[in-house]
Amino acid sequence: MSDDFEKNLRDHLHHEAEETREFPRRLRGRIRDGIAPRTRARMVPQLALAGALVLVAVAVLAFRNPTIINVVTTDIKSILQPSPSPTPKPFTCSDQSGGTLGQTAQLTAIRAASHESDGYDRIVFDFNGGIPSWDLTRQESATFVRDASGQQVTLDGNAGLKLVFPGADLGSSVPADLMPGLKGVREIANVGNFERQLSYGIGLASSQCVRVLELSGPSRLVVDVATSGGPSATAAPTPLPTAPPSGTDLGPFTCLDHSGGTNSGSAMQLTAVRVAHQPGFDRIVFEFAPQAGATAHVPAYTVSRQASAKFVKDPSGLPVTMRGSSGLRIVFQGASGVTSYSGSRDLTPNLPVVQEVEQLGDFEAVLSWGAGLSQASCIRTLELTNPTRVVIDVQTP
Amino acid sequence: MLMDPALGRVIARWRDGDRDAFEEVVDRYGLQLLRTARLILRDEALAEDAIQETFLKAWQRIGSLRDEDPGPWLTRIAMNESISTYRRRHRFQALTERFGRLGGGRREVSSEARLDLALALDQLSIEQRAAVALHYYQDLSVEETARTLKVPVDTVKSRLKTALRRLRELTGSEEALA
Repeated sequence: MSDDFEKNLRDHLHHEAEETREFPRRLRGRIRDGIAPRTRARMVPQLALAGALVLVAVAVLAFRNPTIINVVTTDIKSILQPSPSPTPKPFTCSDQSGGTLGQTAQLTAIRAASHESDGYDRIVFDFNGGIPSWDLTRQESATFVRDASGQQVTLDGNAGLKLVFPGADLGSSVPADLMPGLKGVREIANVGNFERQLSYGIGLASSQCVRVLELSGPSRLVVDVATSGGPSATAAPTPLPTAPPSGTDLGPFTCLDHSGGTNSGSAMQLTAVRVAHQPGFDRIVFEFAPQAGATAHVPAYTVSRQASAKFVKDPSGLPVTMRGSSGLRIVFQGASGVTSYSGSRDLTPNLPVVQEVEQLGDFEAVLSWGAGLSQASCIRTLELTNPTRVVIDVQTP
Repeated sequence: MLMDPALGRVIARWRDGDRDAFEEVVDRYGLQLLRTARLILRDEALAEDAIQETFLKAWQRIGSLRDEDPGPWLTRIAMNESISTYRRRHRFQALTERFGRLGGGRREVSSEARLDLALALDQLSIEQRAAVALHYYQDLSVEETARTLKVPVDTVKSRLKTALRRLRELTGSEEALA
């Protein structure tokens, strides 16, 4: 039998339950940690047994030949000493990536210091547990887009580097923002810590070439940023690369992140996504329409280049791997396709460079798409009207 | 309950140890389970602990899931964990209150009080709240609620009846029974 009281109870329970609006990210992270393989923990008994056997063997040997102690001590010292720095690599003016895929590690410290006499500023990222995979991309501004939220953050400086560590956690003592105020490196700020992907923006005084070194004992990723006029930078800093226009007057391709549009007025509605090849480039078009009674405008957007075709969905945090080996992340602020876009949200055109275009998120008027590319390519963006479109041209070989 | 084929493929991957597939299941069922645990435990942190344990046990015990929708199976684990979490907390709280180190806990209510439903729900036993949440929030039948809580149908009926009477008393709605 149901009466008004039971109806009120049912309504109340639903209302109270909906106060929990989403599944907390921290809880998802705790669950993920809980199911992660614990090879080290499982190996503890075996390691303890092996260690005990080694100690017994050393004791027996020492009893029979005391000089063995010196040999063992020397060997242990050589194992425990930090590895010597490798031969310096040249500075390069391109995006870079490295590390160990699938390696999970915790970032424990960030340091920055000037090596002015050697012509560079050095940033060191210390890790506990090895060096995770990393992607370093250069950009022509010090403005970054925060992961997950899509908010823009502008650091000190006129150019930037974005360093992303998929598979890394953040230690509790690592500051969120460093302002070393060096000649080249002006600011280092966390711009993402979401679903075990750490992202850092580095504000630079000007566009400079970089070299990245992976060191062990302890695990460190070293980013050296050339400072202009440095006497020993192997390669002099060069301007960021710019490719010529391909026979049209649409502007040059640049190997940089792009941004534009305006985040004003009501959210624009995504109506179409098209991908096609043109001579010299693959073209991705996002078409928008204003809401009823609103004025059309190009929504604020950022196009971020990345050195892999792996993306993170917004807001679920689920990893997505698209076709290709490189990628573009396209984020529109003040735009949505929830009610207006009925086309495919995963296009696989198999063009010369653009291999896949997939929606990554459409949440609270932040619309995210990713593009998987067969190779890292320079891009140009165009803002067109009637209808409102954002065009991303990806240069082809 | 039979699974839709897409979910079946996710479960098959989970059985093979695919953590991404498991996380898809967490995404699919996590919020509903967390809300239910929150209704029962009346505490956000405890509810999160219970749901964390729920999914960790589910990950380990996938072998015990038959060819069925994992929702009811997960709900059964979540109810066990919620009640166990509450009892562990309750024992600790009773111990610490004895030594005067932890005050608070259940709100004291005068018989004259006219509480709203949220406060009234606080006054039910954990077993009553579990029955109320499953029956009135998750809309499970009395039989399904009994299966989920692993108690006889008559026990669920009794818990619901007692819970409703208590809620009516506490909220001043007892006259509605007449």
